[in-house]
Amino acid sequence: MFKLFNNKRLFILLITLVAFIVLMGFSLGQRKTLSWPENFVRDTTGFVQKLFYKPAGYIAGLFEDIGNLHDLAEENKRLKILAAQYARDAAQLNFIKAENEGYKKDLKFTKAQANLYNYEYHIANVVSVTTEPSNNTLVIDLGAKDGIRLNMSVTSIDGLVGVISNVSNFTSTVKLMTMLDIYDPNSQPPIAGTVFNKEDKTFGMIERYDQQTGRLIMNKIPVGDPIAKDDIIISKGTGGVYPRGMTIGTVEEVKKGEYGLTSTAIIKPAAGFQDWKELFVVFTEERVE
Amino acid sequence: MKMRRPVLILLLFLLFILEGTILPWLIPDVWEMRMIPNLVFIVILFVTVYHHRHTALIMGLCFGMLHDVVFYGRILGAHSFAMGLSAYLIGLIFQIPRAPLPLMMTVVLLGSLLEDSMLFGIFKVFNLSQEPYNWALLHHMLPTMLFHFAAGLLLYIPLRRQLELLGKETRDEEAA
Repeated sequence: MFKLFNNKRLFILLITLVAFIVLMGFSLGQRKTLSWPENFVRDTTGFVQKLFYKPAGYIAGLFEDIGNLHDLAEENKRLKILAAQYARDAAQLNFIKAENEGYKKDLKFTKAQANLYNYEYHIANVVSVTTEPSNNTLVIDLGAKDGIRLNMSVTSIDGLVGVISNVSNFTSTVKLMTMLDIYDPNSQPPIAGTVFNKEDKTFGMIERYDQQTGRLIMNKIPVGDPIAKDDIIISKGTGGVYPRGMTIGTVEEVKKGEYGLTSTAIIKPAAGFQDWKELFVVFTEERVE
Repeated sequence: MKMRRPVLILLLFLLFILEGTILPWLIPDVWEMRMIPNLVFIVILFVTVYHHRHTALIMGLCFGMLHDVVFYGRILGAHSFAMGLSAYLIGLIFQIPRAPLPLMMTVVLLGSLLEDSMLFGIFKVFNLSQEPYNWALLHHMLPTMLFHFAAGLLLYIPLRRQLELLGKETRDEEAA
């Protein structure tokens, strides 16, 4: 007779089920360090993945470059104009920087305060990606040995990509912005955002990513805020986790918020969330907590 | 004289590496967020149909855990659970060593739908995804199923040959 589950099998099944629920519940919380088997598995697979991802990227990039060849002249012209502007701005910036440093000294800033906005950008190579909507992560080849810590921000050339969610010795996992979710107790925290060129006038919290439309949602924008369509949203740097001045995206639409008291902005993310080669990890001054 | 089993495990590991590194470059950008290749799971489905469901269960648990640990974003164990259990359940129904190609392809489609739904369920239970099921079904489960179908067709002949050799070896061992 065909019997689906006999006693022994049912027992094993239940035990496994309970074990899995315990494991999932346990791993759901924020974990500071990983255990050694996890470290070992991650580092060895990371090493093998590194051998594959980069050559594949180069070959794919080669075909893309051939396709883009005819746009090059146009792009070059634009970049030249940008470069000239950049040189002028850099001179201006240096004056202001020197002035600012003088003020900081006069006002007797502590070392931690003075270094608050001193960021270092470390280049990291992507070694593998998974694009699953509910667990959209990628692995980079920098780890605890290179000084990576939890919750550091990762950006591409275009904009903020995600935060570090787990660190092993030689690799770390990056949780992409697509997993930003206010309902998830240990998602990356909401980003305090502001508008480029209106930094002191606007404020809002980027709270979640809408999977269905592929847009970031910025809430809690006060009444009378000058935020408008096509504004570039950058991070404000208050709150501690995200560094100041990361590009996040452009505003697509501003509408009334959920309760009618504040506005909500729909933001198109600047980073494309696919086909990565190099990313930058932003090293911030370690804070005493 | 165990030769085939390490080959199979190495193949699974290789496929795991490929799906994280090479496939993102091959899949067009528009489809990248919608097709989630899980080549390892296809092979596990072949194992569960042509070899034995217990082997498939163990493989699903191990390689699911590998995926979970390497791409550790939110929780551990989700893939391990989904891959192991769905491979086992599929094996319970479809373990037919002489299954022809059309049946196997049906199994691939059903299996990948079952696994994705199970994953969706797990994330829903832990309140990690807010999207409704029918959206997820159209957005990524169906494209993934089609992708798995194509990959299954490509892998069919080499895998079946390997598994037949593996079966022969196990029988020889039991006879000896």
